[in-house]
Amino acid sequence: MSDTALAARSPLAGLLRPGRQGARGDLPGVVVQERTGLQIVSLAARKGQEVPLMAAVRAAWGIDLPTTPRRVGDARLAFVWSGPSQWLAVATDWPGDLEAALRAHLGGLGSLTDQGDGRVVLRVRGPHARDALAKGMAIDLHPRAFQPGDVAATLAAHIGVQIWQLDEAPTYEMAAFRSTAGSLCDWIVAASAEYGVEIVEPG
Amino acid sequence: MRIACPFCGPRGSEEYTYLGDATVRRPEGDAPSEAWFAYVYLRDNPAGRHRELWYHGAGCRSWLVVERDMRSHDILSVAPARDMALARGRAA
Repeated sequence: MSDTALAARSPLAGLLRPGRQGARGDLPGVVVQERTGLQIVSLAARKGQEVPLMAAVRAAWGIDLPTTPRRVGDARLAFVWSGPSQWLAVATDWPGDLEAALRAHLGGLGSLTDQGDGRVVLRVRGPHARDALAKGMAIDLHPRAFQPGDVAATLAAHIGVQIWQLDEAPTYEMAAFRSTAGSLCDWIVAASAEYGVEIVEPG
Repeated sequence: MRIACPFCGPRGSEEYTYLGDATVRRPEGDAPSEAWFAYVYLRDNPAGRHRELWYHGAGCRSWLVVERDMRSHDILSVAPARDMALARGRAA
């Protein structure tokens, strides 16, 4: 018998090669990285269960589920608003199965679906990250309108994405459907080229 | 044209899909065929305020009822379709 175990394969394998591209200079204007080690689970409140669901999340992890487009939590576990009464739970290096952990605490209050294999998450940071993203996004990313913790579900280069800002570097993360990973990457690398773009090892 | 999503804020129309008239009401199952004909086919085309269903598919995936002036394309109000259905007494 051959071994039929499935091996995880990045949607960007062979597409996003580490190295410097575009304009030369001391420091890259934009740094692009594929996020790995993530578990992503979508959470939608069952009918009329928003309040008990929020209480259960608070009791289990001390996190208040955001009711506006915000991300609440930390690098280990964060909840990203993705629509009315809907969130993405995003965990990094979570020990065990995130979906099972959520299900154990939230039971019948919310519908849970593992999304980890279906999304790609890109981290985009650097002094010109905002300029590069603005080339393909219609929303206002200026600090007066979009700050760390803010989330938007919108289009980037005609591709549906969820974007959230992590810090004032600025650092952004974009989650998109896996099948769009190649197009999204091609766009962000091309949009960043004039500022100098450093593609770093996934992490 | 920009529509102010009550959840996401103002977004361009490229993020939305238009469905149609938000004023029609589905008849009861035993309603006469004339009522069903009107529900399926007959639409007003007002020169002025109209209520339409829009879907924020590239954003929060909410159905919205948008009140729009058909002459100027001014957006007069935007409300979640769910809230309006609940206000009409439809079960959640």
